[in-house]
Amino acid sequence: MTSKIDMLKAKALSRRTFLKTSAGAALVAGTAGSLALPTRAKAATGLVALVHTQAAGDNGPIDSMIAALKKLSEEKGFPIRTIYAQDSATFPSIYESLADAGAEVIAGTFNEVAEPIKELAPKFPDTKFIQIFGDPFEPVMPNVVTVSYDYYLGCYLSGLFAAKISKTGKIGYIGGVSLPPLNADLNAMKAAAASVGADKSVTGAFAGSFQDPAKGHEIANQMYQDGIDYIQTDSAATDTGIIQAANEADGRMVSAISPEQYKLGPKSVAALVALDFGQSLYNEVEKAIGPDFKAGHLSTGLGTGVVDFVLSPTWVEQGPPDLVAKAKEVWPEIEKARADIIAGTLEVPFNTEL
Amino acid sequence: MDDTIIAILRSGTPLIYVTLAGVLAQRSGIWHLGLEGLMIIGACAAVLGVVQSGSILVGLGIGIVLCVLASALLWFVIEKLRANPIIAGLGLTGLGLGGTDLAVQAIYGSQASVNAPFGLPRLGPAFGQYGVLSILVVLMPVFVIAVWVLTRRTRWGLQLAASGEHPFAARSVGVNPARMRLIALCLGGVLCALGGAELSMGSLQIFAYGMTAGRGFMAFAAVIFGGGNPLGATGAAFFFAIVGALGIRAQLLFGERVPPDFLLALPYIATVIGVWISGKLRGGAKAAASFGELKDY
Repeated sequence: MTSKIDMLKAKALSRRTFLKTSAGAALVAGTAGSLALPTRAKAATGLVALVHTQAAGDNGPIDSMIAALKKLSEEKGFPIRTIYAQDSATFPSIYESLADAGAEVIAGTFNEVAEPIKELAPKFPDTKFIQIFGDPFEPVMPNVVTVSYDYYLGCYLSGLFAAKISKTGKIGYIGGVSLPPLNADLNAMKAAAASVGADKSVTGAFAGSFQDPAKGHEIANQMYQDGIDYIQTDSAATDTGIIQAANEADGRMVSAISPEQYKLGPKSVAALVALDFGQSLYNEVEKAIGPDFKAGHLSTGLGTGVVDFVLSPTWVEQGPPDLVAKAKEVWPEIEKARADIIAGTLEVPFNTEL
Repeated sequence: MDDTIIAILRSGTPLIYVTLAGVLAQRSGIWHLGLEGLMIIGACAAVLGVVQSGSILVGLGIGIVLCVLASALLWFVIEKLRANPIIAGLGLTGLGLGGTDLAVQAIYGSQASVNAPFGLPRLGPAFGQYGVLSILVVLMPVFVIAVWVLTRRTRWGLQLAASGEHPFAARSVGVNPARMRLIALCLGGVLCALGGAELSMGSLQIFAYGMTAGRGFMAFAAVIFGGGNPLGATGAAFFFAIVGALGIRAQLLFGERVPPDFLLALPYIATVIGVWISGKLRGGAKAAASFGELKDY
């Protein structure tokens, strides 16, 4: 009986000892691992990945970035992966998995991917990280480039054009949500209109969503009924409702964002404040896989082929003749303003306060 | 003034159709949180149907069939699988939002928004400014009165109310509450399809992912605000449409002085206040106690 109890005690002791030993070993291994392996240098596959936080199929930024990456991949012959990351909780694990898989370049979209990049970039020094539409990192990380876009400069030109072409002198702006960059776009338009004359006014409104064309339609209708005859859109899928409102009467003009929108309003989409995310990604990935990679922040403005203000060729052909004639007449002034901005002789305020 | 009335009618009509669907469900004893999902199915099907067939009737028909099928699925999950109606309704909303996105991706590849070549028939220039209103706006009062008569002035309406409030009593006089709920949900499916079609094809001709933007939930709030009465709920839906239109007007007038986020939130603030007042007037605590439960005794 006694020997049976002793055996049981010995068994219990041995289990306890085993658990203690295991815990100790795990602790030692973990500590050693974190001390001895602060970085996990990978990147040998040539893989370029795009992690996009908005769904593909938007006829806009994401589709253009995927298309540009495919084009560059075919030209240079490297493998690509595109991953839609919807839930912010999954961003770090997606980035880590890609870096662990040896991705040479990981590009991510918009502000929400900043933290995962900051966390993982030091662990994977051989992987280059690109953040499309992000703020500068302080301090600069040697394997990270962040890219921002001076879209407000295009909006300034749109405001200038509108103030010169509008018959009523009343200009509208409809944004998706009141965010600092969009507020800056609206303020740039106001500054441009004010530079033309005190009688020019810009009225801004926000739909509260980038996916609500019905609300966009409603706001645009109220604006047009108030005498506004030119609206700058800045609201993704909500834009389509605004363009439809413009199509409901002659003489209504819209400035949109993508050439895909020309066909939605051949007689109303007069211009674009174009932002070519695809071209931007193409440029940055090309630099990252070549010898020209330079870490830090890149502010992309006019004259880079990424941000611009352009007249719609469809509208020039099919738009109201009097407005088209007026547009052609004032266009040299817009070109001059663009040149002045690029040269730095015309400064556009970046004001995010409403 | 006419412009404001037109704006309110345009934004209020989709909401009212869906609200009436919520009223029917509520009378049958189900708090219907799947209205958002049904509405977006209706909006999507109408546009895709028109694009594929070139016929507005086919578009509406597809929307109605899909919404009725989805409603029958909701009924099956609640009634036969004994799922909580609130959770099942939210599941239907998820199904509608995800399913429509999947359908568009599957059919058109990389197109997030789909444009139809034409919209619902409109009144036309003979009606002046009101000519921009669609046929479903004109028919909306007919549906409101029809639902009111059906629920308040017919034997079927009494049987439906009994099925929702006292299923045991209903069963004792030969009424099958489960079947009544099925009929109510399917009728609601038809109304949601019409509401969705008005949203995507009434003043627009487009479907975009997530374009219902919470309108189904506002319709649900209107049902509570209106105390389950078709006329009261319609009034509540109109109230939300008026507040929404005033919110836009306020942005255009006072956007320089008042934060736009506050003005955009006005309809939702009004919704919360409205539901709170409604709860106070109608004994909200009592209603809340049975919220989410399917009476079946």
